[in-house]
Amino acid sequence: MEDSDAALVKRARGGDHDAFRVLVERHSQVLFRLAYRMTGNEHDAEDMVQETFLKAHRQLGRFESRSSFSTWLHRIAANCSLDLLRKRQRRAEEDRPVDVESADALPAMLSPSPAPDQQLFHVEVRQKVECAMEQLTPMERTAFVLRHYEGQSIEEIGSVLGAGASATKQSIFRAVQKMRRALEPVLDATS
Amino acid sequence: MNHPSEHELILHHYGEAPDRTEVARHLEVCESCRSNYQALQRVWSAVDAVPVPERSESYGAEVWGRLRPRLPQPCQSNTVPSLIQDLAARVMTFRLPRWAVACGLALAVGAAFLGGRFWPQLDSGTRFGMTRSSAHISTQARERILLKEIGDHLERSQLALIELINSQTNGLVDISLEQALARQLVDVNRLYRQTASRLGDTGMASVLEDLERTLIEISNSPAKLSAGEFADFRRRIDTDDMLFKVKVVSSQVRAKEREAARELAGKRS
Repeated sequence: MEDSDAALVKRARGGDHDAFRVLVERHSQVLFRLAYRMTGNEHDAEDMVQETFLKAHRQLGRFESRSSFSTWLHRIAANCSLDLLRKRQRRAEEDRPVDVESADALPAMLSPSPAPDQQLFHVEVRQKVECAMEQLTPMERTAFVLRHYEGQSIEEIGSVLGAGASATKQSIFRAVQKMRRALEPVLDATS
Repeated sequence: MNHPSEHELILHHYGEAPDRTEVARHLEVCESCRSNYQALQRVWSAVDAVPVPERSESYGAEVWGRLRPRLPQPCQSNTVPSLIQDLAARVMTFRLPRWAVACGLALAVGAAFLGGRFWPQLDSGTRFGMTRSSAHISTQARERILLKEIGDHLERSQLALIELINSQTNGLVDISLEQALARQLVDVNRLYRQTASRLGDTGMASVLEDLERTLIEISNSPAKLSAGEFADFRRRIDTDDMLFKVKVVSSQVRAKEREAARELAGKRS
């Protein structure tokens, strides 16, 4: 019978690396999916998975067993990814002083172009989704990914962002609005 | 109800609207709002259609392989990491391959020569990365520490090679554990090799260079090998006599270390 996460955490706290190995092997795939959604980049996502487990290992003593280990890991991964997005944003601002908060820059970048067939259309939509995600601020992207893909509650997302319910909701609204403005032209072109 | 705003429609979609039933009822009767909501749903569908790159089934093991060397060692000993202890337990059943026995005598002579040339020169405070700040440690004590360090390094390398050679070959061979150890060893080995070259001990530098090449090859190979790939891999290591070279040099270093300890004890008494 498989050991539960709680039992493995208990052993890992006592220095049992084999128990921690099982936890790593069990949760790596889902953490990668979250990190990829957050970062939009395979290499960064893999780094985030590593970083998440390193932090989790360091902080095992702080983990409260009454909550789910998986939820705790997701929260660490989201925080690591958010930090990365913020660093990226700072670098982008230094390199190219553009107001990424403004959605006004999107229409020109994402103007629709007719696709010759359905396959190309999907590729184009995918590219535009990825591009639009890149244009979200770190808070918007985090809030959107955690709500849309992870199904987390406003309260949970707020605790990751360090924001209240209202600010968290605003981040989700803005993310969806920006995505809509970016994608609607190309989606309308086929409907 | 009034026409719901875009914000309210987004909240409705995510199940956060204060009154979901009321919004749903309104959407049934109001074509304009329904159309607006459908436009949002097309956006969410497009977002959902973007795939996440697949990871292989062994991804978790790969993550662990990279993570393991970065975790603090849980064992109490300051000198032998638990990974080595894990390996050592499995090494108890190891038998030297025939090629090693055949080459033994000639290599032992060579290693004795290398060991003799290399170790007496360990007298500078700046060698092996040591600085003048450690000058208060006596030359003998420093030499003994260095001998112990490199002895440990060679022992670890030896165990990694033994473990690799004795891996089970039923189907895919998982060498991620050995890779993790090899990655740890490469950097340290490079430092020792460079020092040996700087001291002009080309024999020792050559053994360490061979070892480094082998460790890098282990580090860079796939974490899981087919039986055929693994056989080729093992053959290359066997052909280089790497394991036996390391074993012999390691014995020489340990002997020097014991000698240095005796000399140090003699001086103190």
